[in-house]
Amino acid sequence: MKNWHAFTRWLIALGVLHGIVLCAGFFAPYGPSEQDRKSPYLPPMRVHFVDGQGHFHLRPFVYSFRLRDGSFDQYEEDAAKPDPLRFFVSGWRYRLFGLLPSGLHLFGAETTRVYLLGSDGYGRDQFSRLLFGGQVSLLAGFLGTGFALVAGLSIGAVAGYYGGWRDDVLMRVAELFLALPWLYLLFALRAFLPLAVGPLQAFFLIIAVIGAVGWARPARLVRAVVLSAKERDFVRAARGFGATDIYLLRRHVLPETSSVLLTQAAILIPQYVMAEMTLSFLGLGVPEPVPSWGNLLSNLQQYSVLVSYWWMYLPALAIVPFFLGYLGLASSLQERGEAYKIERRGLGRLT
Amino acid sequence: MRISRAKFQSFWMLLSLLLLFVVFLGHPAIASSQQRDTKEELLALPGELGRSGGRLVVALRGEPKTLNPLIAADSRSREVIAVMQADLVHINRATQLTEPALAKSWKISPDGLQYTLVLRQGIKFSDGQPLGADDVIFTFQVYLDENVHAPQRDLLIVGGKPITVRKVDGQTVVFQLAKTYGVGERLFDGLAILPKHLLEKPYQEGKLAQIGTLETAAKQWAGLGPFRMKEYVAGQRLILERNPYYWKADTQGNRLPYLDELVFLFVPNADAQVLKFESGESDVISQLGAENFSVLSRQQKGYVMTDAGPGLEYNFLFFNLNAPGEKASSEMRRKQEWFREVKFRQAVSNAVDREAIVRLAYQGRGTAIWGLVAPGNRRWGNEKLAHPARSLDRARALLREAGFSWSNGPDGESTLQDAQGKPVEFSILTSSSNADRAKMAALIQDDLKQLGMRVQVVPLEFRSLLDRVTQSKEYDACVMGIASFDADPNSDINVWLSSGGTHLWNPSQAYPATPWEAEIDRLIEEQMSARTFEQRKKLYDRAQEILSEKQPMIFLASPDILAGAKNSVGNFHPAVLEPYVLWNVEQLYRKSATENGTR
Amino acid sequence: MLTFLFTTLAPGNYFDEMRLNPQIAPETVAALRAQYQLDRPLPVRYLYWLNSVVHGEMGFSFAYNSAVAPILLARARNTLLLTIVATLLAWGIALPLGVWSAERRGRLPDRVLSLGTAALLVIPELGLVLGLLMFAVRSGWFPAGGMASVEFESLTFIHKVRDLALHMTLPVVALVLSALPLLIRHVRAAVADVLDAPFLLAAQGHGVPKRTLLYRYALPAAANPLISLFGFSIGGLLSGSLLIEVVMSWPGLGPLLLEAILSRDLYVVVGGVLFSTLFLAGGNFLADMLLYWADPRIRRESSLR
Repeated sequence: MKNWHAFTRWLIALGVLHGIVLCAGFFAPYGPSEQDRKSPYLPPMRVHFVDGQGHFHLRPFVYSFRLRDGSFDQYEEDAAKPDPLRFFVSGWRYRLFGLLPSGLHLFGAETTRVYLLGSDGYGRDQFSRLLFGGQVSLLAGFLGTGFALVAGLSIGAVAGYYGGWRDDVLMRVAELFLALPWLYLLFALRAFLPLAVGPLQAFFLIIAVIGAVGWARPARLVRAVVLSAKERDFVRAARGFGATDIYLLRRHVLPETSSVLLTQAAILIPQYVMAEMTLSFLGLGVPEPVPSWGNLLSNLQQYSVLVSYWWMYLPALAIVPFFLGYLGLASSLQERGEAYKIERRGLGRLT
Repeated sequence: MRISRAKFQSFWMLLSLLLLFVVFLGHPAIASSQQRDTKEELLALPGELGRSGGRLVVALRGEPKTLNPLIAADSRSREVIAVMQADLVHINRATQLTEPALAKSWKISPDGLQYTLVLRQGIKFSDGQPLGADDVIFTFQVYLDENVHAPQRDLLIVGGKPITVRKVDGQTVVFQLAKTYGVGERLFDGLAILPKHLLEKPYQEGKLAQIGTLETAAKQWAGLGPFRMKEYVAGQRLILERNPYYWKADTQGNRLPYLDELVFLFVPNADAQVLKFESGESDVISQLGAENFSVLSRQQKGYVMTDAGPGLEYNFLFFNLNAPGEKASSEMRRKQEWFREVKFRQAVSNAVDREAIVRLAYQGRGTAIWGLVAPGNRRWGNEKLAHPARSLDRARALLREAGFSWSNGPDGESTLQDAQGKPVEFSILTSSSNADRAKMAALIQDDLKQLGMRVQVVPLEFRSLLDRVTQSKEYDACVMGIASFDADPNSDINVWLSSGGTHLWNPSQAYPATPWEAEIDRLIEEQMSARTFEQRKKLYDRAQEILSEKQPMIFLASPDILAGAKNSVGNFHPAVLEPYVLWNVEQLYRKSATENGTR
Repeated sequence: MLTFLFTTLAPGNYFDEMRLNPQIAPETVAALRAQYQLDRPLPVRYLYWLNSVVHGEMGFSFAYNSAVAPILLARARNTLLLTIVATLLAWGIALPLGVWSAERRGRLPDRVLSLGTAALLVIPELGLVLGLLMFAVRSGWFPAGGMASVEFESLTFIHKVRDLALHMTLPVVALVLSALPLLIRHVRAAVADVLDAPFLLAAQGHGVPKRTLLYRYALPAAANPLISLFGFSIGGLLSGSLLIEVVMSWPGLGPLLLEAILSRDLYVVVGGVLFSTLFLAGGNFLADMLLYWADPRIRRESSLR
């Protein structure tokens, strides 16, 4: 089916992107908190193939930067010393996938540090921080979505399956959560939690907060599906045979929700990554020195940075390919779902 | 010989006229108007002569809360009040020495306990009423009244007793101190003289705190400063106009100030200040951060940026050395054990990369400091203090001596542990609105990571920060900065004294918690009453030595004073003491021909 | 009638994802809505300062040293201004574009627009706002933040309006751009659905001109989901406005909330959230009223109960 191909194509594309971020240690030449105090606010280095004398080099190289006299942050290329890039170099140690210690990096230069996307105020490589920040932001999005979906699934299933007062109460609460503008709610929840937490705790805090705000929508969708699935013939038959509620839920009802859940996941993940970015940007998320796409952008709030150091803006665009991937995934999933049209039949009967 | 009748009559006429004239002269109104016309004693200020007229626009970060010096606590209110009030003796911000102001001369008695001040004659308040010794007496009565709770009261308690003042005649007053005061006449700087004719009634009714608000000051208040209140638009701006009775003139006899109007614009933050200056809406800018200064320096169209050199601000890291309350957790107690260990603090001080702080937080426009006396203070610094270069080895050696050890983690990173094997972790608070200090905290965090300490930086809004540090005392460490308002050690007295409110690591102690704090208390109190500069310096040097040894505050860096003004602003000479740019506001003038201050 | 009253008073967000899920028929949605007799739920966590709400104070702000309500009101007015203008503008653009694209669905213009909205959709809102701010600062055409210039009070009325408009441009642009792609897509989807309906074909057969067909017949038929989308979009715009206000220094509820969180001024936080909820509820209420007026089926249905 055409839809399947589209779906898998998007999935592969996303997989590659995520893979790069996952192996951030390998793709990034330096660690995310490595400061180089002699090179604050370096502009991105250009990779050359042709040097000042017009010679072509097979191996690309960069020029090291020299501080212009009398200034603090005006640099110029030191054209005298080309520094060739090497590939698969060994550098600072990291853990691939958090497990395997390794020292291998995709590229690096011999003497100078390579700043593909420039450096920030402490001389940290923005490119490396981008990759590691992606780990944090994307993981926050994933876990937040997971949390929201699990919560939504359980609540929606209970509401849909048992109906009655449980349904009413749960749905009313869900409505409440949906009524409030979600970002405001997110902030309010964050406000009630302690400000001064370590990076790891902050991370889980964000996930918890996002999940606590975002369960309502999946819950309602799941509930709709469960409502319809509950009345299907084969389910009734199974119940007639004496199957327990749990069995029914597990084997017949819940699998019907899978397509809804998948679609929701594809929609929610980018949304929650954005939520984490927003929180971190405003200082309420992951604290320094742990990078996240949000707090990589936070010093753009200072006028001087906004005006002088344009490369600090680039992390904002890092998420674009991911959004694109998720968008494609979501739309291909929705098209696929349309082909099945489960819900339409089921919702004809209302209790 | 018989005098002719005509001559006799004319003689009596003359005599009666003469008598009438004398009586007439004696009439108080006539007499005083003659006084008014002839006897006003203006202070002639040396310096460049300027043109009269024009308007100066200053962007203020925030809004002043009040124009009443008795209740003004925030810096914005004080900044505005400074141009509306005058004091008896003033410290010249450029020379850092005292000058006569409202008092044209003063004498200190040989025993150092009596200060006799002679007021300038013929001076009037901004509403036209004359200034006399009665106003001075009233002013100090109000300042010292315990029910008024004036912030100035503490400044006037010398030797444990408040200063008393008595009137000698219409122009002379004598201040009596309980103990000799090394500060001398500097103590009068900034103490605004209040108008008795306006404030006596509210004072007697106990309503002093309610007058002098921004909305009502125009009618309720009169000052002796170069400007008086004209208009206030809430949330937008404050307009001051020239005080026509100001008592200073230039060397040619033209009455100051030159400017017709002084406008304060309210902007939310430092970046907005920069935007206003850049777009030409404001004419001067001060208290700039180094980054904004660089941005503005790069463009320099129509304005000039000045680096006035090192100032008096000192930034430091300090630890929570308060005595733990009953509710303190065991974790807090454990952390405080580390903090109390002198070698721990010394190790931290050795590990901090001050040079990087100056370079990255101040873009090189600053100086590394190892003591409280910043380089802008030329006379009082202890030159013999050690300025050790950064040395991680020495830091590690100190930690080892103190019983700390390192454990190696699986990834090759080492964690510092105390003698019980607990990893050393703590958080550093910093103000969320101050980017420089946030940078310092982040740099320190990284430095301490090299020692194996896990440090977190927690930005908090400034008021909450202050509350945590001075009231609830719930914090581990904090990075803060203080800008002394005067070069004299007296201005930092609340930091030195263990009973002081800004003795930040353990404020407002009932009695000194450690012997070295007690020693510092003693030294500071002695230098307060010492009479000569040499005596005071010796004592102050020793106090600085102790501080440098015990390191309750780990001093980091001091920024230069950065300011800028449009090219059309004349007499612009930023000083390193507050108010940096407006200290000579009466002499500032506009060079261009246009009346309007904006571009 | 009573049921209907309840449904309109409720923050009626049923339309949102149910609508967006093309698998569910519109009638079911309407019926579900009617089924849920909702009163406005008063959240329990607001109960503790209910008393002060009654007194019109909404608690006390420790940072501003005053009652919360006046602070909120001033800021809320600014946020409202921004949100309303952005809503009008966004819908003003999305409706014609959506209809136009639905009409030509499958063909080139539709695809181009699809691509365009996709491109906008993938740019994160944060990137959008920061980008606009950088543009403002570098080009100098627009003021970089704030709501009014220095001399605002002394300007003539016309100049005041102009000044306000200048300051409002970038935040509104940011808001509109962030909301536009989804709006266009849904308008297009709703209208496209309707365009297949038999009654339209009949009308076309009668020779009704294209434009009239589109706007007088198709659009009202699609009004049902669109109006619910309207209510939903207000929620999205409000959330979006928080970030945009903070970055652009627009003195609305956003920066106030952030400041309150950083200074632990919790009454302000709660008050701010409540205010924004009120806006949302208000917007939805408006949407419900519009729906009632627009769709006779709901009127009939509710009167049957």
